[in-house]
Amino acid sequence: MEKLTIKDIPLEEYTITPGSACQGCGPALAARLVFKALGDKVIRHGVPSCPDSVTRTPHTFSVFESAGAALTGISRALKVLGRDDVLAVGFIGDGGTYDIGFQALSAAAERNEDILWFCKNNEAYMNTGIQRSSATPLYAWTTTTQVGPRGRGKETPRKNLPFIVAAHHVPYVATASIAFPTDLIGKVLHAKRLRGFRFIDILCPCPTGWRFDPSRTIEVARLAVQTGMWALYEIIDGREFRLTYKPKKLKPVEEYLRIQGRFRHLTDGEIEEIQRMVDENWERLLKLDEEGEFPL
Amino acid sequence: MTVEVMVGNKAAATGAKLSRVQVAVAFPVTPQTTIVEYLNEFITKGEMDCEFINVEGELSAQVVVQAASRIGARTFCCTSGPGCLYMHHPMHDTSSLRLPVVMAVVHRGNKGMQPDHTDLMSHIMTGWIQWYVENNQEVLDSIIMAYRVAEDMRVRIPIAVGYDGYILSYTAEPVDVPEQEEVDDFLPPYKPTPSLMPEDFDPKAPLWWRVPWEEHHKVIVDAKEVIKEVNEEFGKRFGRSYGNGLVEEYRCEDAEAVIVAMGTIASTARDAIDNLKAEGKPIGLVKLKCLVPFPYEDFQRIGSEVRAIGMIDRNVCLGVGGVGHTFIRNAIYDLEERPKVLGFHAGLAGKEVKVSDIERMAEKVLKAARGESVSPLVEWV
Amino acid sequence: MIEIRFHGRGGQGAVTASRLIAEAVAKEGKYAQAIPMYGTERRGAPVTAYVRIDYRPIRRRDLVHEPDIVIVIDPILSRKPSVAAGLKSGGLLLLNYPTPPEEVEIGGDFMVSTVDATTIALETLGRPITNTAVLGAFSRVTGITKLKSLEEAILKRFPGEIGKRNVEALRRAYEEVHLPKPAKGPLRPREEEPPHVTGYGVLKSVADWRVFRPVVDLEKCVGCRLCWIYCPETAISLVDEKPIIDYDKCKGCGICVHECPVKAIEFVRESV
Ligand SMILES: Cc1ncc(C[n+]2csc(CCOP(=O)(O)OP(=O)(O)O)c2C)c(N)n1
Ligand code: SF4
Ligand code: SF4
Ligand code: SF4
Ligand SMILES: [Mg+2]
Repeated sequence: MEKLTIKDIPLEEYTITPGSACQGCGPALAARLVFKALGDKVIRHGVPSCPDSVTRTPHTFSVFESAGAALTGISRALKVLGRDDVLAVGFIGDGGTYDIGFQALSAAAERNEDILWFCKNNEAYMNTGIQRSSATPLYAWTTTTQVGPRGRGKETPRKNLPFIVAAHHVPYVATASIAFPTDLIGKVLHAKRLRGFRFIDILCPCPTGWRFDPSRTIEVARLAVQTGMWALYEIIDGREFRLTYKPKKLKPVEEYLRIQGRFRHLTDGEIEEIQRMVDENWERLLKLDEEGEFPL
Repeated sequence: MTVEVMVGNKAAATGAKLSRVQVAVAFPVTPQTTIVEYLNEFITKGEMDCEFINVEGELSAQVVVQAASRIGARTFCCTSGPGCLYMHHPMHDTSSLRLPVVMAVVHRGNKGMQPDHTDLMSHIMTGWIQWYVENNQEVLDSIIMAYRVAEDMRVRIPIAVGYDGYILSYTAEPVDVPEQEEVDDFLPPYKPTPSLMPEDFDPKAPLWWRVPWEEHHKVIVDAKEVIKEVNEEFGKRFGRSYGNGLVEEYRCEDAEAVIVAMGTIASTARDAIDNLKAEGKPIGLVKLKCLVPFPYEDFQRIGSEVRAIGMIDRNVCLGVGGVGHTFIRNAIYDLEERPKVLGFHAGLAGKEVKVSDIERMAEKVLKAARGESVSPLVEWV
Repeated sequence: MIEIRFHGRGGQGAVTASRLIAEAVAKEGKYAQAIPMYGTERRGAPVTAYVRIDYRPIRRRDLVHEPDIVIVIDPILSRKPSVAAGLKSGGLLLLNYPTPPEEVEIGGDFMVSTVDATTIALETLGRPITNTAVLGAFSRVTGITKLKSLEEAILKRFPGEIGKRNVEALRRAYEEVHLPKPAKGPLRPREEEPPHVTGYGVLKSVADWRVFRPVVDLEKCVGCRLCWIYCPETAISLVDEKPIIDYDKCKGCGICVHECPVKAIEFVRESV
């Protein structure tokens, strides 16, 4: 990735605003940052999701299950037309990426299609009103993983999709966060210069679905990274692994969980369980980072 | 029985709960989503004993219920618009395998989020029985009745209960909720045939059995009698029934013309008919509830009693015409004396259908009944 | 038949209010329909809901175009004459508004009643969720539902402490509402569509989504660009390294206020 400071971030805006997203919408900020970095030689593709990304670049749209296929069509048509200056860019929710769109995503990744895929990951289906996805973390409340005598929120941890995509031997996979704009834009600029299948999973807190005050969107996003709930890294060619943010010590996950309504019901025991999971994962990532190798 | 003010989606979820559904599968899609949420709530609170699967998309939703029904669970599924369309392929098999799956379809057209009937009507050839209902009470009652019909050994065909998104899905109104015991008496437990349990299984049975076309068609046509029976019995037990189960005639006595409507348009049309009747106009309403199997006999009878029929289609079969209009014309063709059949495309993509709109359509149909010339015969409202 | 239209904003409970009325009148043996105008509203965006009440089952399923009563639960929307669009002559406009009806700017051949529901809600619930307070005023002014039925409906929906506090808001508003007076204000509702946002896409202005407005103290600002980079709406641009806010684009989320490292941005309540 490229190393930047805030002053290097281009001033031009490519999102058209005000849009119809909620106050303090994380994905809307992700859209703003991503398209700033990509510039105007872009065809943006979308599938059904929250209304957080309207850009003044050309755009296309297809059914929910189909982003990988649609982006393939766009990219191959650009190729036969000799337009390798135009990027095929998907800006797709976690539902359209992790779940219903997974088959077409995997197929496009395996063919190493010339695509840039951004997952605006708000860890649930927000457009339809907060239902769990396979990106929803363990014990999070959603309207389909409710809390009551027979439910403690989501029963399983989220799918490790960036690793799964990396296992397709693609040129570039990264995670990013809206609270770390220079890291995010540095990754986008790097990915932009490569060819083949590139995937960036951006954690974007959603005040409406995660149940926190909209003014705290960035704080929540930052804590996700500082507690190790969402680690920032990149995987190159399915082989090289690098953490791009490595604090000396992680903050306790409690700080992140306690400020969100979706985790309000958690017991101390459940928080400890999450803490253990995060610690184990962090150990593993540190080891990968040290060895610099992704175990394929 | 208790009265509860509830939205259409809660009525659907409550119908599934009272039917003691054992496996429920759905994928959220506006305006069906809250059914999924209500089911999750019932199960989380321990009010409903049911396996609920949060699948990754509708293709899987349909196949999970198909497979679970085959093994022997009573299954429920629900969807809307795009999700309904995405299920198309396996829906053919659910019917071909003669599985009594019941599915709520909360109508949403494919040109936006708003309702029309093109979602479910796109599946006319999949072999699903299709009902279109007009209020939240009928949503709840029809889900319970659907299991009785679908699981009847003379039928064993899946049923889709369709209702208009937004207009019912999110609108709250009083609903009589029957007692669990009453529903249990009405709806015995489901037994799959053939059983696939190892101890029952016949190794010589074909591996993947699909009923041949001709037989498949006849079973669905013959289901009309079972639907009527079940509707009548429901009426006796619960004090409510819906016409003859296929169509309902509202104030058709002495009518020279009738309006035919489906879903919530039929509900609004009742006010329009009352207004016109008050002015002494000879008009009535026919609510078309069961589109598949199509009640040809009822329309032949109605067609021989009136001079003009006006079908309001909340759909269009592109390049062909209104589905109801086409079917009704087909039904009356063999009559000695045929009424005029006018068509109206109304309420597509959620366009509001007001009482006054229906009054105006009715006036046009009355004009045709008087033998005056009207044009065009088919109109977009 | 009585027809009511509600105006509010995503998150304030207009839809819940419509449901509570329906539940309350159903307890009294009447029939009701509560219709939310759902599109894809987001938190902060204006929303509409309708209620019909009758002595017999309600069958029509079109929307309400000429309401007998309009209820506005948001104080900022209460300033907009378009909320009264279509209101029947002799009808009632019930506003969440801090001053008596005489000071309301909207005028026409209908009555106006006001209640300071925001203050009541802040004092009873601690949050500006004004729906239950407005219902107390509704019960008193119209007599369409008994206070008791509304209380029962509220307690059923919100069990426990929250329910109790909502009942308190309801009762206080019942007492404090300013009774209807003829609407004499200078601003007439035009036959425009009442405020409502649905769907996806780009809006002209979101100024009325805000409850609070961010105001930058340029003296304090050290030009770090953080507020600029974190604003989801591109509402902040940099002029000579200092942030300038475009208030047509600002939704009032408060991110910039929260993130400014030197607390140079203040969050000021929008005036009513
Ligand atoms: C085939 C199909 N099924 C369901 C839907 C309904 N739907 C639209 S958006 C959405 C959820 C989107 O979730 P995600 O991709 O995470 O994006 P977000 O809304 O969270 O931004 C769903 C379920 C649809 N449009 N098409
Ligand atoms: S629900 Fe969440 S992701 Fe969707 S627009 Fe609102 S804040 Fe953004
Ligand atoms: S309050 Fe929110 S929308 Fe307004 S300028 Fe600040 S960050 Fe932008
Ligand atoms: S965050 Fe504060 S200090 Fe930084 S530019 Fe904005 S107003 Fe100035
Ligand atoms: Mg999402």
